[in-house]
Amino acid sequence: MPTFTETAKATKKKREIKLVGSDMYIITEKGIPKFDDIGPFKCEFISNRGTKVWPGFVSPDLLQVNWYRCRFMATKDVQDADVNTFLDALTKKGWWWSAAQKLWNYDGEPGFSKAY
Amino acid sequence: MGTQHVVTMLPGEGTGPEICEAVRMVIDASGVNIKWEYEDIGLDCLEKYGTLLPDKTVQNIAKNKVALKGPTTTPIGTGHKSANVTLRKVFDLYANVRPAKLIPVLKRPWDKIDILNFRENTEDCYAAIEHMVSDEVAQCLKVITWPGSYRIADFAFKWAKEQGRKKVYCVHKANIMKMTDGLFLDAFREVAKKYPDIESGDIIVDNCCMQLVRNPAQFDCLVLPNLYGDILTDLCAGLVGGLGFAPGANVGDGCAIFEAVHGSAPKYAGMKKVNPSAVLVSGVMMLRWLKEEAAADRITKAMFAVLDERKHVTYDVGGTATTDEYAQAIVDKMHAKV
Ligand SMILES: NC(=O)c1ccc[n+]([C@@H]2O[C@H](COP(=O)([O-])OP(=O)(O)OC[C@H]3O[C@@H](n4cnc5c(N)ncnc54)[C@H](O)[C@@H]3O)[C@@H](O)[C@H]2O)c1
Repeated sequence: MPTFTETAKATKKKREIKLVGSDMYIITEKGIPKFDDIGPFKCEFISNRGTKVWPGFVSPDLLQVNWYRCRFMATKDVQDADVNTFLDALTKKGWWWSAAQKLWNYDGEPGFSKAY
Repeated sequence: MGTQHVVTMLPGEGTGPEICEAVRMVIDASGVNIKWEYEDIGLDCLEKYGTLLPDKTVQNIAKNKVALKGPTTTPIGTGHKSANVTLRKVFDLYANVRPAKLIPVLKRPWDKIDILNFRENTEDCYAAIEHMVSDEVAQCLKVITWPGSYRIADFAFKWAKEQGRKKVYCVHKANIMKMTDGLFLDAFREVAKKYPDIESGDIIVDNCCMQLVRNPAQFDCLVLPNLYGDILTDLCAGLVGGLGFAPGANVGDGCAIFEAVHGSAPKYAGMKKVNPSAVLVSGVMMLRWLKEEAAADRITKAMFAVLDERKHVTYDVGGTATTDEYAQAIVDKMHAKV
């Protein structure tokens, strides 16, 4: 008899995984970052504490902290190595980042949330 | 008549408009001088303006800085953001104030509950940062910030002080989530030092739930991160009398929007049978915010009296009165007392 853990692990469905971008968590005291395209990576939106602060309207009342979630989407097919190049470029441009989270599509469905 | 207040009225949808009309009738009869400015919000706006929250509405709230809101209907799966969440984001309404006060005439196993909940409204697991980090692991970031935690604690202590409250407690799970809830608790403790006259302390969220159902009378004011606040305030609403009576306010530095905890109950729309009490009590909170204490007291007393008589109450509290008949009975009571 398999254990519950073994049964659970066996139910995993095979899904096709595709790299489509990366979320960059950037620390800055200089307000909302601005980015040019970096190689095949283009900034799609920036949020702070979950609220979208770029592009579009930002309420002057909004509390912002020094940590921004910057969503970079790939504009063409990319591989993991392209992300390394992208991270190096970002660092060379002087951006200080706390983490990078690769964005994957699973069977064509995004495995990541949008910002409000 | 005293000072005139200009208030944005957002009747909302479903049963919202009929509730708001009844509430307006009661508030107008309480002796306050309010100029209501009606603005649209919700699904109906989609056709007219292409958005759930038209710019005109936002501008009006920004001008008046205070609004009374009926419930709206959140479309499921249309890709449109909820009007409520958008309002919260646009005005950074970081404090969700939800009092839970026992209504004397509703039979409950307790003889006293008077809890004031301050729920942080913008952070925590509600920051919408979620990823499938591998094909078998999902992750949601719980975001707690120092300024976000500090301001909700400061807001709560200040409000508590103004209302002559005695105790403010922080609800958390810092024993397990040492960084996130730990930061929330640290900020709370730092703020508490500024208010030496108010007793402060903290309680772990699971114990708090158990204590709430066993002995709710021991609690006064609670400050909670978003998720615990979401859950505990519903628990508190259940303790005192259910959704028909639970009021709330969403407050930021720039404005305050008062609304009931309940939704638009669309299946009753147009039938004029739902209970307007929760929106009415939210309106009473608004009157206190506007420093119209006498009118607020008058409405509360009259509402309790009508509930006590049980002659003109709505279906959810065992009566047959319509929304309007109940409201009219409250108005009649107020006039009888003057
Ligand atoms: N603040 C808001 O605007 C708000 C809050 C919650 C839900 N909603 C929205 O409202 C819609 C309906 O949601 P729902 O059915 O889950 O919740 P609901 O609160 O509208 O209704 C749940 C049930 O509670 C009872 N009820 C609610 N209000 C009552 C009242 N005033 N008097 C008597 N009985 C009352 C009814 O039996 C109703 O069927 C959804 O679209 C939801 O997104 C809006």
